Amino acid sequence: MLPRDLHVRGRWPPPAGPRVAVVGSRRPTPYGEAVSERLAQDLAAAGVIVISGLALGIDGAAHRGALAGAGCTVAVMGTGVDLVYPRQHAELAARILAAGGALVSEFADGTPPRRGHFPKRNWTMAALADAVVVVEAGEGSGALLTAEAGLALSKEVMAVPGSVFSPLSVGCHQLLRDGAGLVQNARDVLAVVGRSQEVLDDPLQPPSRLGLAALGGRDGLLRHLSDVLPLTAAELARKLQLGFAETLARLTALELDGSVRRRGEGFLRVPPRE
Amino acid sequence: MVASVVSCLLRGLEGRLVEIQADASVGKNGFFLVGLADASVKEARERVRSAIRNSGLEFPKQRLTVNLAPAVLHKEGSGFDLPMAVAIALSLAGRPPPDGTAFLGELALDGSVRAVPGVLIAAQALAAQGVEDLFVPEGNAAEAALVEGLVVRPCPDLAAVMRHLNGQTALPAQAWALPEPPGEAPVDDDLAEVHGQEAARRALEVAAAGGHHLLLSGPPGAGKTMLARCLPGILPPLTLEEAMEVARISSILGELDGVPLRWTRPFRSPHHGVSTSGLIGGGAGVARPGEISRASGGVLFLDELAEFNPAALQALRQPLEQGRVTITRTAGTVTYPARFILVAATNPCPCGWAGDHLRRCRCSPGVLDLYQRALSGPLLDRIDLRVNVTRPPLQALSSEPAGESSAVVRQRVVAARGRQLARQGCLNGALRPAGLRAHAPLGSVRPLLERWASERGLTARGFHRCWRVARTLADLEEAPAIAERHVLEALGYRLDTSDAA
Repeated sequence: MLPRDLHVRGRWPPPAGPRVAVVGSRRPTPYGEAVSERLAQDLAAAGVIVISGLALGIDGAAHRGALAGAGCTVAVMGTGVDLVYPRQHAELAARILAAGGALVSEFADGTPPRRGHFPKRNWTMAALADAVVVVEAGEGSGALLTAEAGLALSKEVMAVPGSVFSPLSVGCHQLLRDGAGLVQNARDVLAVVGRSQEVLDDPLQPPSRLGLAALGGRDGLLRHLSDVLPLTAAELARKLQLGFAETLARLTALELDGSVRRRGEGFLRVPPRE
Repeated sequence: MVASVVSCLLRGLEGRLVEIQADASVGKNGFFLVGLADASVKEARERVRSAIRNSGLEFPKQRLTVNLAPAVLHKEGSGFDLPMAVAIALSLAGRPPPDGTAFLGELALDGSVRAVPGVLIAAQALAAQGVEDLFVPEGNAAEAALVEGLVVRPCPDLAAVMRHLNGQTALPAQAWALPEPPGEAPVDDDLAEVHGQEAARRALEVAAAGGHHLLLSGPPGAGKTMLARCLPGILPPLTLEEAMEVARISSILGELDGVPLRWTRPFRSPHHGVSTSGLIGGGAGVARPGEISRASGGVLFLDELAEFNPAALQALRQPLEQGRVTITRTAGTVTYPARFILVAATNPCPCGWAGDHLRRCRCSPGVLDLYQRALSGPLLDRIDLRVNVTRPPLQALSSEPAGESSAVVRQRVVAARGRQLARQGCLNGALRPAGLRAHAPLGSVRPLLERWASERGLTARGFHRCWRVARTLADLEEAPAIAERHVLEALGYRLDTSDAA
């Protein structure tokens, strides 16, 4: 059920298309963050409106990914829409608005962040979405509340699996055991929200033919890099049996090209655009 | 009659010649001390009176005035005891001291002479002002004997000094002795003991070669402290000039402990609770040297950088730029050297697990934000190299480490430093922009660095920082010109955290 009043900044209603909420922990692992970003990017590129909560971690990555996919994204906030919480996301909020997205909230302007408001916000998020995808959630995570709300509202609830060693995937695995849809890539989500015909690069598979050809010719280094799990320069040097200095120099050159980027202490391959 | 004896007043690392005049004259019985003496000097009256009596000498029964000249200088410390006692005794004897003599030392009540801080600095200053014969406490004789052209006489007690001055028994002189530098310095922490850590090894070598500051970032237990401790071992031993400077700082702090010259580079690792004065220098009266000056010529290691008092870290900025620190206190302004390589270490977050693939970080987002903010800003902007240290796999720890030893790395470092000193007279880390243009032309790689600066955003400081590091990388390779690979590697150590999320 949508709340009676919805306060909005930006474009409302969003353009037609399926709406998918991508939610998860505020303190994800690098894996969860990478999955969230990539998934949102592919969904947005396929015309999905990506909904999330503007929080740190998975939420922020989902909004960033949607923007990278040149899509429209909606941030459902637990404060008034005139405030941005957390404040580190002020720039992200501005980018969301600039890209034709919206900030929405059931709370009046000027409402500060309050503990009790966020569960309500999670409910609103589920109400606005056709499907809820939980990327990483530990036990008792707020993202699980969004999933519960989704169930109560008869929305599709899906989850991304993780490592069985990771405490941050416990909630997701619980959801999967309870019958949530399995998300391995954007196609899994699109099938559920009725956009299965979209052709997509599979995020967890090796790069497409076009990409591989381009990489092989340019730099063998890229073949050893993943676009999901970052690898440090030292690890890569060991794999390639190259000196550390040379590896770092080559990675930096690729970074300047835009085919590699840093995440935390490691490097990720940037998937080639088609 | 008035007897006048020469001694020395310390003002930071400088010594000023002070004349101590004693006059026993007719008048009401008393001991008057004039000449802007502070409480520690005023106390000398009691020590001097007892020491003179207990040395079998006569203490004047008339009005006794002791003047410390020039009167405008604020006097502190206990080093004036011996010269005061000598001046009083000579004034009674009606003789001037021999020409070219000077005296330093504290007196015990029984007349024995005790060590005082700063004798090395005083000896150098006095020798420069024409003093030829210096009487010092036995405990300070070794440091005074480092000064060439000075006859140093270790004094056991006041009576022995007076016997020498009366021409009865001469005090033997300590020979001028400059310790030989050791051929191969022993290495406390050897890089050969480090498992893996290619990134940090390389960064340490570059930091040592070019005098660049370094930030090690990684989870607890990754070996950041061990790596930092390895840095002195890959630096060349101190030169004589540098060793003398280290000795001067130790001398003023009274920490020479009988070993006048040490050739190993200092390694200081103050706890993160250190105050601004403790780190930078300070204290009442004339400021004393802080950790940054004790580390001068060596390594200053700040573990848990984000836990340090922000004011203390802010105060590091000027010394990092200038290689020295100037401190003003009520009693005057002093300048101490602060030419150290800064090695800072930090965890990714307070609990240490942020960004780990499996373990969960337990820090709240607010705490994390504060922590990372403490690590940003102008201080980090002055650090040339940043590397991540990863935890080595446990099975690697039980196997034999395969890395190079510190001695091998040191040879490359020494060669690279030699090339820099021959070319420009200083290390690359200390080159100013004008020096960079003159001695480290970018040539054909300029467009690469400029492209990065414009596309990825580099501050002017960041631009020069990459440039300096690139020059050091070229020096390590004996390359005459900076090549593209040097600039690319240097950019790989840069500091931006924008993508780190």
